[in-house]
Amino acid sequence: MTNTWLQKYFRGDRFIWVIVFFMALISVLAVYSSVGTLAYKYQQGNTGYYLIKHLIILLFGIGLMYAAHLVRYTHYTGIAQLGIIVAVPLLIFTLLAGTNIHEASRWLTLPIINVSFQTSDLAKLVLIMYVARMLSKKQENIKDFKTAFLPIMIPVIIICGLILPANFSTAAVLFVTCLFLMYIGRINMKHIMMMLGIGAVLFTIFVSIALLSDTPGRVATWKARVENFLDKENGDANYQIQQSKIAIATGGVAGKGPGNSTQRNFLPHPYSDFIYSIIVEEYGLIGGITVVLIYLVLFFRVIRFVRMSPRAFATLLAIGCSFSLVFQAMINMAVAVNLFPVTGQPLPMLSMGGTSIWFTSIAIGIILSISKEVIKENDNETREPTLATQN
Amino acid sequence: MAMEPQKQVMLRIYLVYALMCLFGGAIIFQVFRLQFVEGEYWKKKADSLSTAYVNIEASRGNIFSEDGDLLATSVPVYDIYMDFRAPGITKELFYHSVDSLALSFSVIFGDRTPQEYRKELKTAWIEKDRYHLIQRKISYKQLREVKKLPLIRMGRNAGGLIVQQNSRRQLPYRLLAARTIGYKIGEVKPVGIEGSFNEELSGISGLQLMQKISGGVWMPINDDNEVEPRNGDDIITTIDVNIQDVTEQALYDQLVKHNADKGCAVVMETATGKVISIANLTRMPDGSYGETFNYAVGYSSEPGSTFKLASLMAAFEDGLLELDDSIDTRGGKMQYFGQWMRDSHEGGYGKISLEKAFAVSSNVGISQLIYGCYAKKPDAFVEHLRKFHLHEPLKLQVTGEGLPYIKDTKNKLWSSTSLPWMSIGYEVQITPLQLLTFFNAVANNGRMVKPKFVDEIREHGRTVKKFDTEIIADTICSASTLAKAKTILETVVESGTARNIKNSYYKIAGKTGTAQVGYSKLNKDRKISYQASFAGYFPAENPKYSCIVVIYSPSNQLYYGSDVAAPVFKEIADKIYATQFDLHKNTEPLLATEEKTSVPVKTGKQKQTAQVLGKLNVPSSINGSSGWVSSVPNDDIVEMKEKDFPHGTVPDVKGMGLSDAIYLLENTGMHVSASGRGVVKKQSVNPGTKTEPGKIIQLELGL
Repeated sequence: MTNTWLQKYFRGDRFIWVIVFFMALISVLAVYSSVGTLAYKYQQGNTGYYLIKHLIILLFGIGLMYAAHLVRYTHYTGIAQLGIIVAVPLLIFTLLAGTNIHEASRWLTLPIINVSFQTSDLAKLVLIMYVARMLSKKQENIKDFKTAFLPIMIPVIIICGLILPANFSTAAVLFVTCLFLMYIGRINMKHIMMMLGIGAVLFTIFVSIALLSDTPGRVATWKARVENFLDKENGDANYQIQQSKIAIATGGVAGKGPGNSTQRNFLPHPYSDFIYSIIVEEYGLIGGITVVLIYLVLFFRVIRFVRMSPRAFATLLAIGCSFSLVFQAMINMAVAVNLFPVTGQPLPMLSMGGTSIWFTSIAIGIILSISKEVIKENDNETREPTLATQN
Repeated sequence: MAMEPQKQVMLRIYLVYALMCLFGGAIIFQVFRLQFVEGEYWKKKADSLSTAYVNIEASRGNIFSEDGDLLATSVPVYDIYMDFRAPGITKELFYHSVDSLALSFSVIFGDRTPQEYRKELKTAWIEKDRYHLIQRKISYKQLREVKKLPLIRMGRNAGGLIVQQNSRRQLPYRLLAARTIGYKIGEVKPVGIEGSFNEELSGISGLQLMQKISGGVWMPINDDNEVEPRNGDDIITTIDVNIQDVTEQALYDQLVKHNADKGCAVVMETATGKVISIANLTRMPDGSYGETFNYAVGYSSEPGSTFKLASLMAAFEDGLLELDDSIDTRGGKMQYFGQWMRDSHEGGYGKISLEKAFAVSSNVGISQLIYGCYAKKPDAFVEHLRKFHLHEPLKLQVTGEGLPYIKDTKNKLWSSTSLPWMSIGYEVQITPLQLLTFFNAVANNGRMVKPKFVDEIREHGRTVKKFDTEIIADTICSASTLAKAKTILETVVESGTARNIKNSYYKIAGKTGTAQVGYSKLNKDRKISYQASFAGYFPAENPKYSCIVVIYSPSNQLYYGSDVAAPVFKEIADKIYATQFDLHKNTEPLLATEEKTSVPVKTGKQKQTAQVLGKLNVPSSINGSSGWVSSVPNDDIVEMKEKDFPHGTVPDVKGMGLSDAIYLLENTGMHVSASGRGVVKKQSVNPGTKTEPGKIIQLELGL
């Protein structure tokens, strides 16, 4: 009974649905445990405020996911084209007039509802959809430079270039994600290497201009972060990393238990950038392994159904959305364990933060929508032959 | 291209997936490594890095006078430290700047020589001191200079300057209303307005993460989790600085004159109960006077004759007495049950009316009148005093109110002599402010309002709470009682004990009081000291202000309320009357009808002088078209003559106001030093001599 009810309304790969709800559960636990300092700073210690806010954001995200999974994935080609047209001016506008959080113009405050909105999250999803669409369209002569490579590369460079001044790590992660996607989509390796070169050159030019001008802006922060990462001796400047390592080391195998983190008081953004450290501190090595596995299993489930799909767009869109999500998760966790310099990447679906959760939800919704179609097609294919043999 | 495209894509996907698995594996491996390989190190580190959140105190709100003058404010002071491991301080940079840094510190703080500072900084640099104290309690101005110095000007992170802000409370008007404003010292319960509004003034303290470093000192860590303190709200009091100044000064002069122990004076706005000035002075061991105890609010004592008003009003209420009832003062003394009661005037007044008995403050007369009415039913008398709310504390906005004490017949100490002595203000206790509230109710046509010290609470200039006038009783007595009370109070000043403060400009109503303190019905040998008081209101026809003055233990022979306290009342009332034009009914006859002879006119600018004289309708003749004019002696008319100041010579500034004199003299390059008030009477450099820029010229002013 319930099974059919669930099947009727929650379509697509049900294993992914289970993963999503499991993620939401971990997210609520970890965020609620780590908002203490934030609550004391802005809400006179009312952590309940953040719990409720986070629950609402998650529920709304799952709503978006549900809506996105109902849409037939082929519609996303149109949405991708429309999205690019919307995203570029929005990014420019954010750069010029965005709300300045931590000296970076990443946010737009939406009028009327007064919600901060990180434009790059929108741009990221839209660009991946666009690249998936272009790759599938150009499969006939994919190795060609002019007809296949250029039309894909130009929007990637424009969007990443627009995100870069305010948010280096998002731009870099998105750029690399697109390169991986192009590699999967069989773009000529020579061209990909060339593009990597172009990206590096453009970035160098940007940094030199920024360094030479009087207002280094974000460049100073990046410089300091990279220097801190390389210079392990100077522990004090690496305050965040030190605190993160202490969190992980003191967590042990089984962790301190839910709500027992002490490092949440010393880590900056324990509810977002360093949420993985808090998870390891409270749930131990076991919790840490579980979270890594959740993302890998999610990716695996996507690969599993994609294998059955003959359509290039379905494959590339599903892989694009899931790879972007998993890659970002790996980067976030790598920062927490100090494999990577400090970046501001949230852990998708687990970190607190409206825009990040919502666009991750939409991405998963798209994945579910594709899985729904693939499963339907496969059912039809497998059923037909069986009917034929019976006849 | 052997493979078909779909297979090729899948192969690449597997490759990417393998890459991600490797990535995840690396993360898990790193977690494993941090826990098992580096685990001990980090656990130890966690213990050594003891950090704690400490409170940062919010800056305390200000206390303002009614018209916005600062009465109490917190001035920030700063402790500054240097972190010699700040990333910006390199070896070359340090040695390059240490000399100028040491010299500047020496100049700014002036406590050590540049050499000493240099040595100290070098030691700190070599030790890589992370929290080296440079100076404590420096002012904001000094801090600003410090921030411009080399190294330090690179900013908080690079330059290593650590600033910790503390604050010091200051009263810009020093003594003025100091005790009512109150204070807060350490953990002692704060007093005055500082005490009663401590919560509002304090604000909410913030949190700062501090890390324990070597040597047991705590250093603030810059992190995103610090909570900004919420600053305290401002308190707007009802105090008027000018009237407060007059009150304090008048009281002070009289205390000095009569060598009194202590005294208080309060002025209250009749309709609203606003306490516009409150002075409390106590003689200190060194002979000076200071604001150390709030007598007006906290000191409950036997009031003496001022209380007779309440006694008579009780009898008026019951219709038992009329103003023209006559009473025999029996030669100024009489016995109640073997206890002598005396008038201060030896020999008494013979047979006089009630009105007169009150005006001359005859104890014998008043006590007989009241005893005659209430001997058989003293309860009824006490009941009236209670209806006048004399037995209740006022529950003021400042804490520490003294409790009133009105004895009733059930009291163990009630005796047959209680009624006559209560009627003249003994065997009851009341604070000056409680008595003033009662007098103010009479002035306010029977409506008793609660004295108010604080008008509103503001947060960043925005009113968050406003205190309305609280009404204790809409009416404390009947209209006819009120009319009689007002009449007898006016008679006191018209022809009674306080006729020394009678004046022709406005009418005062009030009552003197001379209470014997330490007076005992049983033990006549005890040393007696006096408490002189005057309570009243003005202008009597349409009261705007009420005021009480109490002077305790005057010790120069004179001790009557009329001699000691009433003049303070008059001094205060005169100043208020003179500055508040709406109190003046008719201003015209002042100049025209009285004497015509020479109105003193300051030397000044021709145009302004003409304008002022014209507005005041003073007949005048002013010569000269522009520039400066001075008056010429003339009995009938103000005559002004043009005045000329040759260039390069010292001008003649005699007869000028100080501002004009300073303007002229400083324009010649000289410096002015002046004393006294009024117009310039003497100048130390003769007019007409050559000016010498930079030279000091002394001016003596007088009226």
